[in-house]
Amino acid sequence: MIPSRGAVLAALALVVAALCVYPVFGTGYGIRATLQVFMWIALAGSWNLISGLTGYVSFGHVSFFGIGAYTGAILVTSAGWSWPVAALGGGLAAGALALLIGYPCLRLKGPYFAIAMLGLNEVLRALVSYFEGLTGGGSGLSLPTLDASTHIYYVMGALAAAVTAVTYLIITSRFGLRLMTIREDEIAAEAMGIDTFRHKLAAFLLSALGPGIAGALTARDQGYIEPISVFPLTITVTMIVMVLFGGKGTVWGPVLGAVALFVIQEIVWARYPYVHPLLFGAIIVVVVLAMPRGVLGLLQLRYRLPRAI
Amino acid sequence: MNVVVTPAMVGQVILSGILSGALYALVALGLSLIFGVMRVINIAHGPLLMLGAYVTYFLYSQVGINPFLTVPVSMAALFVVGLLLQRALVFRVVGAPELSSLLLTFGISIALVNLVQLAFTSNLRTVEYLTGSWIIGGLALSKPRFIAFLFSAAVTALAFAFLKFTRLGKAIRATSQSREVALVCGINVARIHLLTFGLSSALAAGGGALLAVIVAIQPEMGSVWTFKSFLVIVLGGAGNYPGALLGGLLLGLVEQLASLFLTTQLSEVVAYVLLVLVLLVRPTGLLGGRSA
Repeated sequence: MIPSRGAVLAALALVVAALCVYPVFGTGYGIRATLQVFMWIALAGSWNLISGLTGYVSFGHVSFFGIGAYTGAILVTSAGWSWPVAALGGGLAAGALALLIGYPCLRLKGPYFAIAMLGLNEVLRALVSYFEGLTGGGSGLSLPTLDASTHIYYVMGALAAAVTAVTYLIITSRFGLRLMTIREDEIAAEAMGIDTFRHKLAAFLLSALGPGIAGALTARDQGYIEPISVFPLTITVTMIVMVLFGGKGTVWGPVLGAVALFVIQEIVWARYPYVHPLLFGAIIVVVVLAMPRGVLGLLQLRYRLPRAI
Repeated sequence: MNVVVTPAMVGQVILSGILSGALYALVALGLSLIFGVMRVINIAHGPLLMLGAYVTYFLYSQVGINPFLTVPVSMAALFVVGLLLQRALVFRVVGAPELSSLLLTFGISIALVNLVQLAFTSNLRTVEYLTGSWIIGGLALSKPRFIAFLFSAAVTALAFAFLKFTRLGKAIRATSQSREVALVCGINVARIHLLTFGLSSALAAGGGALLAVIVAIQPEMGSVWTFKSFLVIVLGGAGNYPGALLGGLLLGLVEQLASLFLTTQLSEVVAYVLLVLVLLVRPTGLLGGRSA
């Protein structure tokens, strides 16, 4: 049974309204955790655009998060910008990096693209550690103290909503169809007259903006960043596993995956702090082997759900 | 930088470049084998190297065996670990999209590092066996590095001889050229995959065992080696086995030259820029590898 469009919209409106009023009565921990879920929705949804929809596996997507975090933090500390504007700056920096690196790397196929992106991440970390004057190097960068958690909560929430809405718009558009054609068979897409390179570059650019802004917001929220905290491969893998769990190439898959995995992690990490990489490794192995299509992918297959789920 | 670069310094970095390049080639050959035969990108390659280093460390510090003589033991131990990993997990993602193998081996990789941290702590450990250098014609030749170089050259040569002349080696190369034709020729491809993963882990362990004599070891030491091995095999051409030699020497030289003319911290950046440039001109590596 598929609920009607009106029922879905009503339920969605209810959830959004509940999230909007939540900071009024929520606990400090609750707001913080929800903020993190928003961040993961934005990251996972963005990765889904280039890798889930277009089929180019970015194994270094945390690069955009990290460059956004550093740009945002530097704009706040050195240039004295207010954090919302600095967050936009973080998004722009990530977009510029996407164009710069996408131009050569999107010509690479399959594993070569994945490795090139993995390398980008290592290189950015080395560069950030090297330019100490600007970035504080290995000792990190502290932002002036400011209690803006509630404001950041709303902005991050809006970002998560925007990434999800953009995914919906893309999946239901001809542009999205072309991206999916590239994913299924790039040569056939080319033969049908699709300018594959420009489409890939556009998808890559869109997928970089969200992590860039999320990075700048996270830097502001945490008040301190260092190379190993904003460029770890683990962040990339977490967003990928979230998308895989929910269902890659879908609108709601990244949202579902982000919420589910975050809750699992919070419960497990709190209980077994010393073995959490081991347990995370086990979660990854289970998701990859047992559910490559994800929850929504399976539902789509089973119940013939629309593409724009 | 206003440092005067003398010919002796250039000679010194070329020497160091060749010494470390041989080790890169040895480790990367293992990664290249797996990619060539199974199309699996093994993120756990560096952690397997780390396990090899720990085997050597414990054999040296607990049993007192000459660390260079532990190399075959370490390789044999990791050969078995490789077989088990392939048998239990990795075979399930052979033939799947690259995302599956990347994630699965990343999962294995963090689990291995975590297990070693839990078992042996994150403390730095060193094997102080040989120290000091020989001075030859004004160039300093570090003793442990030179002997490690000889060992890595020997192990790499043995691996190549195995691939070139033995029936099993030929079967491995046949499988990497075409899985289907190999099957038709009566090669048990699943067993070749098993053997390849074991061999690859053994090569990583050989690198780790030699590295243990040169630098301090700790559980996180592997990840940078995964990255460097990728650079090497993509430079030389993934799945092209002699390409791993060329790529390894090239990476060693580039890193050393970068540390002479720029700074050690930026050597990875220089190597990456080199990688992107090579991929732009020759998307399948210098000696030509296989495309996806």
